[in-house]
Amino acid sequence: MKYDEKTLSALISGQLPWAETKEIMSGGKDPDRFRMVLEIVQSMVSFTERILLPLGPHLYIVQKGTDRIVKCDCGYEFGDYRTNWKFMSRVFVRNSQESLQELYHPDQGVDPDWMELREFYCPGCFHLLETEAVPPGYPVMFDFQPDLETFYRDWLQQPLE
Amino acid sequence: MAEHMPRILAIDAGGTMTDTFVVDEAGMFTIGKAQTTPNRESDGLLRSFDDALHYWDMERGTVTQHLMATVYSGTSMLNRLLERRGDGPIGVLVTAGMEDYFRMERAAQTYAGYPFSDRLHVVTHVHNEPLVPRKYIKGIRERISFFGEEVVPLYQEEVRDAVKALGRQGVKALCVSFLYSYRDPRHELAALEIAQQVLAEEGIDIPVYLSSRSNPVRGDLARLNTLVVEVYAARPSRLQLFDIRDRLRAEGSSAPVRVLASYGGTVSPDVEWLVTTLISGPIGGILGARRLSEVYHFENVVCTDVGGTSFDVGLITERELLTRTEPTVARFLLTLPTLAMDSIGAGTGTLVRIDPAVRRVTLGPDSAGYRLGVCNADSGITVPSITDCDLALGYINPEYFLGGEVKVDRERALAAIEEQIAQPLSSDPFSAAEGVVRLLETQMRDHLYGMVLGLGYAPENYRLFGYGGGGPLHVAGYTEGLAFQDILVPTWAAAFSAFGGACADYAYRYDRSIDLLITPETSAREMVAQSLNQAWEDIRNRIGQEFQRDGLNPAEMSFVPSVRMQYLGMLDDIEVRAKWPIDAKDGLTSLIDRFDELFAKIFARSARSPEAGYFVTKAIGVGILPTEKPVLPKFPLQGATPSINAHKGTRKLFWRGEWHTAQLWEMDRLHSGNEILGPSVIEAPATTFLVPPGRKAVLDAYRVFHLNNG
Repeated sequence: MKYDEKTLSALISGQLPWAETKEIMSGGKDPDRFRMVLEIVQSMVSFTERILLPLGPHLYIVQKGTDRIVKCDCGYEFGDYRTNWKFMSRVFVRNSQESLQELYHPDQGVDPDWMELREFYCPGCFHLLETEAVPPGYPVMFDFQPDLETFYRDWLQQPLE
Repeated sequence: MAEHMPRILAIDAGGTMTDTFVVDEAGMFTIGKAQTTPNRESDGLLRSFDDALHYWDMERGTVTQHLMATVYSGTSMLNRLLERRGDGPIGVLVTAGMEDYFRMERAAQTYAGYPFSDRLHVVTHVHNEPLVPRKYIKGIRERISFFGEEVVPLYQEEVRDAVKALGRQGVKALCVSFLYSYRDPRHELAALEIAQQVLAEEGIDIPVYLSSRSNPVRGDLARLNTLVVEVYAARPSRLQLFDIRDRLRAEGSSAPVRVLASYGGTVSPDVEWLVTTLISGPIGGILGARRLSEVYHFENVVCTDVGGTSFDVGLITERELLTRTEPTVARFLLTLPTLAMDSIGAGTGTLVRIDPAVRRVTLGPDSAGYRLGVCNADSGITVPSITDCDLALGYINPEYFLGGEVKVDRERALAAIEEQIAQPLSSDPFSAAEGVVRLLETQMRDHLYGMVLGLGYAPENYRLFGYGGGGPLHVAGYTEGLAFQDILVPTWAAAFSAFGGACADYAYRYDRSIDLLITPETSAREMVAQSLNQAWEDIRNRIGQEFQRDGLNPAEMSFVPSVRMQYLGMLDDIEVRAKWPIDAKDGLTSLIDRFDELFAKIFARSARSPEAGYFVTKAIGVGILPTEKPVLPKFPLQGATPSINAHKGTRKLFWRGEWHTAQLWEMDRLHSGNEILGPSVIEAPATTFLVPPGRKAVLDAYRVFHLNNG
């Protein structure tokens, strides 16, 4: 299904009513959708580097000179997209009853011996970017390393450069 | 024109159109249509009645007094629920700890009504906005066990406080639903007494509803949902029904107004438990098919209803209708006995698109509904619908849609099909449109074929009825390749649901969970028999009171007791007729025999598994009073050749890749015995019957077409 720019902007900014959002989620994607989404997110950020792929809330992979880096919408740069951006973020770990009970009711929540919460913040704007719920000692998760070359060549059939 | 004396008025008030079906004493009928008027339904109803009468050159003022029966079915209650426009706020008392029923929804309601693809697609699951906000739900400490024993006494002070608080919060009604109250209602009854006391002290006059009173069945969320829907959606409908009754009375009618209930009977609008009429529209069609099956002495029948948004299929197997007790309606799990129908979202309004990724035709899930499609210039619809394709292919007469009342534009439809479907497929618009219609009909065919096969039968064992506004048009297509014994299309297909409603009995039905195991032990058998007899007696008295309130004599009612039972360990129970009173020896044994037999009919003989014993889940009672029903008039058979004044000309139609010249016929002017050879189109104001090349339609003595091979 093809949607107009207004609808997609509302979808991206979370303003679209649920019924329409559900319809888009359940429907097919038209081939032009990715291009339109890129245009919309590009117009929403303050920097000028070309966005290659939205990576998650606030985060994008952008073309900066010859580098492809992860960048927050505030402008903070995390470095090469093939390296886990979380290494460059500010981390807050909730691994004690006290810190977990800031979020959970005493009867609920988790046992810090079994699970901890890791919150990753942007050093530039201090937005919460991602949360991990993992056993203590678990390596920092690398959520997503896209194969940009194949995606652009085989799926979008567009030059990546 | 001959004199008519209208005796039965049957109404099917849909979301868009209100159909009336008026029958005279000889069984002759006339059909009326008018726009539904949701704010005051009686307006649209009377207009539709007038429309029906004008075909007989009669005036409402002179005929209403002769009516013997008025039967109403409609979707307004369902629409109120679907559109969340119900009454409130409603106060709810539940067992403490269970206050979050409507927020948890057993998770199952987060994907209720979704297609299979979305059930797997978890991000699309979403909780419903609760019908009762959390602040109106109070937990009361109490507990009755599964065995009906008091585990925790009712904390009476908590009931007092909760009722007082809810009363001051301005609730319009109170619903009480405690765990296992169907087993033992004493806590609900005690809560009722306290609530009434508190409300009297507070000077508040609101009704209190108990889940154990009208619906003592297992399944606590579904039971509470049903109770709340009674207050939320059914109560407002009651006022509309009273208004209809008052206006018909003012016109001189003394006939009671009855409402079609989902279990296939009709009830008075005064009934305490009006929520049973929530689903009535598609039920009418099955009842109509059952009535015709009695006339023709058919054993096995497939009922197919093609509407604007859905295709509904119901089965009558060896004269038995299947009843389900836990339908999902408007994304709510409910406990309502409902005649089994299976629907797919494919109808004449279904919108057609090309999936850009795979360049294939996709149908729906959305529908143009009453707006028809692109052909209706005022509709605002830009995506072509099935109706647009039917128009393009020459199946529908653009000058005669709803008797010419709605202007449809074939060129608009054709242009939309060309641009949106044919071009992306590199096809011509006619082949594309035909491909779309065939795809729809294939989906319908697979659906009904699957249902018949699922019961261990083949189409060869069944006859098929095609009705609904779009049934006669597509029935040839969706039955192609299936060797049904016969395919029947009533001339009144468009108002078949209303006709079916008129065929329904005046009947009240109550269900009660009993959950008893029948083992070979004598004492267990005694207990089962005793519990069943007690339950049936209670239900019978309850129904007697209902008839008494309606001003009828309960002594004349015939009481039909039945049970729902299953092999222990199986998941699906089925309904079995019983005899009342039942004894622990022969009575129970013959009940078991009947169950074995019915199970073999509905499922398969080889699937029977009596080894672990039999489990009786529910006692059910239906009380029936005789009522005026339409007689089917029989017309003398005339020659096979239709009279020349029935012929309307010819039209080109596209069928299986070729253009044919179809003969056009006016349905009303055809006579019993006439044979119409395809390619032909038989037109009536409310429907169009397509007889494709190589097929033949024969009109029988009851004015029902039989579609044969030519």
